[in-house]
Amino acid sequence: MTTSSTQTRKALSKIAQLRLQKELEEWHDPPVGFKHKVSDNLQRWTIEVSGAPGTLYANETYQLQVDFPEHYPMEAPQVIFVPPAPAHPHIYSNGHICLDILYDSWSPAMTVSSICISILSMLSSSTSKQRPPDNDLYVNKCRNGRSPKETRWWFHDDKV
Amino acid sequence: MGLIVQLSYVIILSYFQKNYTVLKEGDIRQRQEESISHVSAVLSISRVAASTLLCHYKWNVSQLHDEWFADEERVRRTVGLLSRPVFFSSAKELTCGICFDSYPRHQIHSAVCGHPYCTTCWKGYITTSINDGPGCLSLRCPDPACCAVVDQDMILRLASDEDKEKYSRYLVRSYIEDKKKTKWCPAPDCSNAVEFEVGSNVYDVTCLCSHAFCWNCTEEAHRPVDCSTVNMWIMKNSAESENMNWILANSKPCPKCKRPIEKNQGCMHMICTPPCKFEFCWLCLGAWSDHGERTGGFYACNRYEAAKQEGLYDEAERRREMAKNSLERYTHYYERWASNQTSRQKAIADLHQMQTVHLEKLSDKLKEPESQLKFIIEAWQQIIECRRVLKWTYAYGYYLPDHESAKRQLFEYLQGDAEANLERLHQCAEKELLVFLGNDDGDTDFISDFKIFRPKLAGLTRVTRSYFENLVRALENGLSDVDSQAASSVSVSSKNAGAKGKGGKAKSSTSRSARSGARNIDDLTHWNCDRCTYANPDSLTSCQMCHNRR
Ligand SMILES: [Zn+2]
Ligand SMILES: [Zn+2]
Ligand SMILES: [Zn+2]
Ligand SMILES: [Zn+2]
Ligand SMILES: [Zn+2]
Ligand SMILES: [Zn+2]
Ligand SMILES: [Zn+2]
Repeated sequence: MTTSSTQTRKALSKIAQLRLQKELEEWHDPPVGFKHKVSDNLQRWTIEVSGAPGTLYANETYQLQVDFPEHYPMEAPQVIFVPPAPAHPHIYSNGHICLDILYDSWSPAMTVSSICISILSMLSSSTSKQRPPDNDLYVNKCRNGRSPKETRWWFHDDKV
Repeated sequence: MGLIVQLSYVIILSYFQKNYTVLKEGDIRQRQEESISHVSAVLSISRVAASTLLCHYKWNVSQLHDEWFADEERVRRTVGLLSRPVFFSSAKELTCGICFDSYPRHQIHSAVCGHPYCTTCWKGYITTSINDGPGCLSLRCPDPACCAVVDQDMILRLASDEDKEKYSRYLVRSYIEDKKKTKWCPAPDCSNAVEFEVGSNVYDVTCLCSHAFCWNCTEEAHRPVDCSTVNMWIMKNSAESENMNWILANSKPCPKCKRPIEKNQGCMHMICTPPCKFEFCWLCLGAWSDHGERTGGFYACNRYEAAKQEGLYDEAERRREMAKNSLERYTHYYERWASNQTSRQKAIADLHQMQTVHLEKLSDKLKEPESQLKFIIEAWQQIIECRRVLKWTYAYGYYLPDHESAKRQLFEYLQGDAEANLERLHQCAEKELLVFLGNDDGDTDFISDFKIFRPKLAGLTRVTRSYFENLVRALENGLSDVDSQAASSVSVSSKNAGAKGKGGKAKSSTSRSARSGARNIDDLTHWNCDRCTYANPDSLTSCQMCHNRR
């Protein structure tokens, strides 16, 4: 396992493995704009996102890194952009994403593809390529390798 | 012990109507059941639905009624009480929306909405939510687009015993924590709550567990000092705690022979071990003979005076001196605050010992029923309550502005008198009583000595109580009647005659004469009680304070 995160992660539970295998099968036919980079690591997925045509991010590609906890899907996966992250008012330069379904509003009935679709729609509706106003402060606080799941998120308006 | 400490509190509180109710866990559950029955009857809905609604409306029945009858559909939508399913399938096998496996119908469960999930996934969903916190009381269907509530019945059917326990505790907690007029008792092992009559401004309450606390700020009871002073003081203490640890040490060198003396009693009167036998004050390390009425000196141990600054200072030295003084000043108040706290703890333990061990023996020896010895218990209760009040008056004193010199004088005078009396009472209950607790049966002097002891302790209790009542009243008035009070109520002329007494520390003579000025009475027309030294008008034949005959 390639560890850029300093935390040690517990192995996936049986339920999590079964569910992820099912999700992986679905990814043979991925949602539009996404590509799963094949690896044999079930617990960390890397997904390529292509900006939708006609939006600020058209012709750009980014990498999402998805890490699954032991009790996925009861607990939310950790989803971040691998830097360089797209410039967006809800995406920090270290790749952390301010999106409620990744934290408080997660439900086990959601899937990796439903997360991906939400993230793409968040990108597509953006009107300016700007960092969040507290970017430097926040990124600085995360330098010790803190996971975005440890942050107490104060969700911005969900129009953008 | 618990009960008795509480009773002493009731004595103090009996001036006021009781403005609070203690609720035990059973009382809370009963009230919840009553609200649920009521709502379920009035809205004609199931008890489970009523419980869901009440959780959402923070157990405010009338608000729930109002909103329900104004717009039932809207209430149902916000709370997630759907009236009919949104998902329906007649298939024999259904796919669980979480693990994506197929199951026969009977292994699939749904909330009212009908979204299908298997038993294992429901269990995982419910246990995760319960272990996440009180949010489980408003659990919704896992489907992200569905707002149907997962009701109590379903949760209790699928949760483990341990989780059910947690869930029902959250349910009880929601009744207390969601309301403005109820709070938990802050004592560590207590599960009672207190309901407070809003509008009252006496915040001290006593839980059935005997813990007395301020309903407003939930610190321990701190009447007559207000919440903001108490909170400032507590912040200050935690900021300075490293500097102040040494104060909590239990031993100090004897000021005369320098051997370490351990404090193992509640009162501040220390006697060094033989051969030294020096008697001194634990707080100021001054000779005990300089304290109180015996020498005609003031009890001035409570008063802080900055070290005299003499000569010229350069600026840096001056600043250093100020810093040192400010810590010194704080140290003075902190030490007295902390020592009274320790003394109070000791007194609580002593009272307990008295009630469980000594009282019965004493009653045997004296051949008197225990009810005749109630005055001993009352003395200890008074000590415990007075130590609490006195302790907080030191926080008050620390924040009393220096420039309000008239108020400060009155305050220090009242505090000093109260403290001096408390020391005498505590010493009498602690040391003099000891003589009667020994094993020397058949001593003929025993009974006659006790006859002398009895009115002494009872008298000191009464006197101390009235001094403290005076102090509490004055602080609650914000020391507003500086002049009238100083001139009339508690003047003791034998103590201020000539203003010649010495406190433990060297005190500046200017402030001492200012003190005596504030308590001036004409010295012709009174007599001093020889038990409590109170200056009584000549017209009276028994003491106003302790009822001792002239
Ligand atoms: Zn399932
Ligand atoms: Zn549903
Ligand atoms: Zn309690
Ligand atoms: Zn308070
Ligand atoms: Zn000594
Ligand atoms: Zn002293
Ligand atoms: Zn008297």
